[in-house]
Amino acid sequence: MEIAYYPGCSLKQSSNLYDSQTFDVFKRLGISIKEIDDWNCCGATSAGKVDDFLAVAMPARNIGIAEQQGFTEMVIPCSACYSRTLVAQKKLEDHPDLKNRINEGLFRKIKGGLKVSSILEILARIPKKTFKQKLTKKFKQLNAVCYYGCMLTRFPDDVEVPDDVENPQLMEQILKIIGVHALDWNYKTACCGASAAMNDPDTALMLMHKIILDALKRGAECLVVTCPMCQMNLDVHQDKVCEKYGINKRLPVYFLTELIGLALGMSIKSLQIDRHFIHMADA
Amino acid sequence: MPTTLKYDPKASSSFLEDVMKRSGQKLTACYQCRRCAAGCAVGDGTSPVTPDRLVRLIMLGDKKAAISNDLVWKCVSCYTCGTRCPNNIQTGRITETLKKMSKESKEAPRLPKVGYFHDSFAKSGLRWGRVNEMEFMGMYELKLLRDKFLEKDFDGIKEEIMDQMRFGFSMMKKRRMHFDFLTASGRNEVKRLYKKAKKDQFK
Repeated sequence: MEIAYYPGCSLKQSSNLYDSQTFDVFKRLGISIKEIDDWNCCGATSAGKVDDFLAVAMPARNIGIAEQQGFTEMVIPCSACYSRTLVAQKKLEDHPDLKNRINEGLFRKIKGGLKVSSILEILARIPKKTFKQKLTKKFKQLNAVCYYGCMLTRFPDDVEVPDDVENPQLMEQILKIIGVHALDWNYKTACCGASAAMNDPDTALMLMHKIILDALKRGAECLVVTCPMCQMNLDVHQDKVCEKYGINKRLPVYFLTELIGLALGMSIKSLQIDRHFIHMADA
Repeated sequence: MPTTLKYDPKASSSFLEDVMKRSGQKLTACYQCRRCAAGCAVGDGTSPVTPDRLVRLIMLGDKKAAISNDLVWKCVSCYTCGTRCPNNIQTGRITETLKKMSKESKEAPRLPKVGYFHDSFAKSGLRWGRVNEMEFMGMYELKLLRDKFLEKDFDGIKEEIMDQMRFGFSMMKKRRMHFDFLTASGRNEVKRLYKKAKKDQFK
């Protein structure tokens, strides 16, 4: 069945490589997704700090659009969009008056019942056998650490979390199928600082150096992420972090879709991995 | 922040109730176990306020100290505190509420950059229906530069512009800068809802 796809602003701009990777990888794995019509910004973490009503109303419109287009499930690869949409949906369920108020102003009303999924949930659902049949290559010696960040497992509201909160495993499960060795480490759900990289760099660099240092100490050769904000922060600002904290080595930060894409036979060029700041050769 | 705590029952109850209602968190359930503080990502750098102490400050009704401290402004909303709280108090939501209260009280935020950033981001998303990275970063930078200009910090202005230019060029080199302008044509639906909500709130 076709799944609705909400890309969010970041996947249409600085991280548009993740947008096209998601499409290509899903297509090759036989999962059909369709971008919903005229979606709007989810408000990310900023809306919740500016106005609580706005933080629900912004994702609410997207939920209404997906439902009215007849979808029963929507995949959101960006962790911030995923978290905000899930939390808004919970708020709407818990407060029928709020839902009515918002529905009054929406052209495409919310009925309820849409399942909001992360990219990990969709990928982990593919039977191992089917997944393996599509692979043209298998990694043999790559040691990676899975970095989930904050927003895949921790929410400001009591939503149902599809993975272990403190020690999630979905990404490890998927990497195992493509032959990547995922190492145990301490910072898989730590925070990269998110927007603090712009508005409070000292804090963000401090947080990022802990992540990079632990990954290196464990013998990781790369970080694997699903969040465009985490990828951007750890990749773009890594030189700054390492210079400040005296770290000599570097770690490439890959989207999960990039490693899967390579295992499915796609090239570095077609996956646009050349648009990263840190490459395997620099490490 | 004062080291001796003063307790004013009248002031404390209204402020406490206000924060509880707006954040949706039951602060009175806090028994100061400090699991939040142990897991706080930024706690090392926000001395003397950690999430547990923030809760205590609010209980004591010290609005000024509760709003103007590093924890409220350095909090990265990672929600580790609330996830680990045995009483399900999400302190991350409390810092978000206090940021809003700070804005309403018209007091200058302790870390203005944080306030400017989230304002610019949310406004850009609301105005166009989608956030445009270049536009919202431009708005954010203008607010910063305006402050520096008022302080007559001309070296700071030069430094900020050079920093952003270097960042921009490095992003451009990797084709990570985007020049198309994104909009959602139904953006007025959310805008109207927001306007109405604001009006209802102040009725």
